[in-house]
Amino acid sequence: MSSKTDSTVLHSAAWRISLWATLAFACGTMLVFVALHQFVAGDIQRRSDAWLSGEVEVLGDVAEHTPKDALYDAVVGEVAELASKEVPNKLRSESARNDSVFFLQTGKDGSLKLWVGEGVGVLRLKAILRTQILPDRPSDLHVEGVEIPFRVATMRTGDGSSIYLGLSERDELRVLGNLRARFILLWVLLVLLGFAIVFYTTWKMLSLVRQISEAASRIGHSDLMARVPTTERNDEVGHLARTINKMLDRIEISMHQLHTITDSLAHDLRSPLTAIRGKLEMSLSVAVHGEQAEPIVSAIEEVDRLTEFLNTSLDVAEAKADALRLSRSEIDLEELLRIMIDLYEPSMSEKGISIELRSSGPVRIDADAGLIHRMVANLFDNEIKHLPPGSRTTVHLQMDSPAALLTIEDDGPGFAPDVLPHLFERRVKGKESKGHGLGLAFVDAVTHAHWGTVEAWNRKGGGAAITVTLPLCAQHR
Amino acid sequence: MHYYSFMRILLVEDEHDIRSFLLRSLDEAGYQVDAAPDGKAAEALAQENLYDALIVDLGLPDQDGFSLIQRLREIGVKAPVLILSARRTVDDRVRGLEQGGDDYLTKPFALAELLARLRNLLKRNGPPDTEASRLRVLDLELDLLRREAKRSGQVLQLTPQEFVLLEFLCRSAGRVVTRSMILDKVWGMRIQPDTNVVDVHIYRLRGKVDGPGQQPLIRTLRGVGYVLKDR
Repeated sequence: MSSKTDSTVLHSAAWRISLWATLAFACGTMLVFVALHQFVAGDIQRRSDAWLSGEVEVLGDVAEHTPKDALYDAVVGEVAELASKEVPNKLRSESARNDSVFFLQTGKDGSLKLWVGEGVGVLRLKAILRTQILPDRPSDLHVEGVEIPFRVATMRTGDGSSIYLGLSERDELRVLGNLRARFILLWVLLVLLGFAIVFYTTWKMLSLVRQISEAASRIGHSDLMARVPTTERNDEVGHLARTINKMLDRIEISMHQLHTITDSLAHDLRSPLTAIRGKLEMSLSVAVHGEQAEPIVSAIEEVDRLTEFLNTSLDVAEAKADALRLSRSEIDLEELLRIMIDLYEPSMSEKGISIELRSSGPVRIDADAGLIHRMVANLFDNEIKHLPPGSRTTVHLQMDSPAALLTIEDDGPGFAPDVLPHLFERRVKGKESKGHGLGLAFVDAVTHAHWGTVEAWNRKGGGAAITVTLPLCAQHR
Repeated sequence: MHYYSFMRILLVEDEHDIRSFLLRSLDEAGYQVDAAPDGKAAEALAQENLYDALIVDLGLPDQDGFSLIQRLREIGVKAPVLILSARRTVDDRVRGLEQGGDDYLTKPFALAELLARLRNLLKRNGPPDTEASRLRVLDLELDLLRREAKRSGQVLQLTPQEFVLLEFLCRSAGRVVTRSMILDKVWGMRIQPDTNVVDVHIYRLRGKVDGPGQQPLIRTLRGVGYVLKDR
């Protein structure tokens, strides 16, 4: 049951709509976040670059104006140390010493003059010389052995030496990293929330449509009184329900008119037929002597044939208009066929035709027993009328969920090729047929009234075959 | 012989032709019949007299046959009803009445069938038949428990279906049964086959029941049906 619900959810339009809407929403919010990230990263960079440029200028100034004596290194080093304490975006470093800032001064010849900072100054100098850092434009410096790059600003002092101030990008990256982590968490939550909201609203909306289609599918051949559920809402779905109901009103009216016409036609013809038959029967009981009785008897038989023709043609007409009134109940098709074969077997064997039922067990269908009886009788009557002596008829019955398959085949002459394509139409019959040409049209009408299908063909080895497919009872599908 | 000869029947039918031939044939069958052309007259008659059975046509000029039956039930008429319907399909309301002990016939019908159904209705309402385990018609004898049939002491080799058919003929011995009555009672279906399916069953049965040199028991009445002779 739960897997069934899962699959209906996965196949629902609500699911597809929510997936696409969520995809669009996720892409949109992702773009917004990327742009925001770029802006924040650029801003942080600008601020640290401004600090670097300012500090390197101050340091250059100090380096230029401090006398080149024994205290020079100590004074400049102290200033650089102080500057490192005012680093922007500063986070507390894990180590006791300050490893986020370095200060480096080279002489005119490019040799290392002064180094303040963590690590080996010469390695840092090598990296600086490789990178070629321009004054007034801080740039990234990748140092061998140090994972996080430095941002380095430089300036040339009046005495020809160069000053480099480096700031580790560690803190900047950490800030951006934190920002990204929060962005992603928030994004995931937003996307999930968006999906939930879209799915819930479309599911609710479409479940109304589903209710309408379920109700509409129940409204069928026998039950035209039912209507689809309507809502108070004035949206498309509410409008759809009201339109369907108006359409059903019109269908019911025309169906009612059709029933009235066929009923009154039947009534108008049946009453005189009843009177004629009754009078004939009464005169038969008076004129009992053979010769006199003969015309009366054949007249009674004609009246019966006319009645049967009237019934069948009205049934076919109603079925063609999808208006045949069914009185359904659960019946076992196998048992029904056994009884019918039992009834027909003697008259078939009288004509030298054999009949056999091949079935694998009970086949339960929800059908109008009276109509199915008449349908099978029509098929069997057909075999008797058209098969030459010595023929064999086989009735196959099998369950092919969700339908019951009933095939009647014989090894007779088969259907005439010119008749075959129109076999199930009214008044179509073989040249030698004495029937009224309604038999197979009636079979077709009854199967369609039961939401089934019927098919006829000539077998390869010779002979005719007709297959009737009828839906099984709901609980046996 | 005719224990129902004093049975009183109310016939409600608007078609003059049908009413007159039904009146005549019911009268010939020994019933005392009152006829009404519409619902109003029927109600008046039912209030005055006590009837054993009613024959009601559904298509009356002044009211629906169903509402007439309901009205009659309300004023205390308990007699069973045989419904005559010119409608093609059997309405659910007819089925409801059928379950309530009434019966129906669709027009046009065979007189023999109308009489048989009427007889059944009267029997159902009358004193219950003691369910015999044996049936005897002249020298034909049926043991219903052992499902065995004998003619002049000779056991007949019958199939179960043939036994059921013979049993039905014996129960209606002396009266006409039509093909559609046989199909209804023996095979349980209301169909009108295009071919002579019932006749072949009867021929076969006759071949077994009426041996050479014996008096033929099963008679064919062409255009009407069959009758099992009881005298």
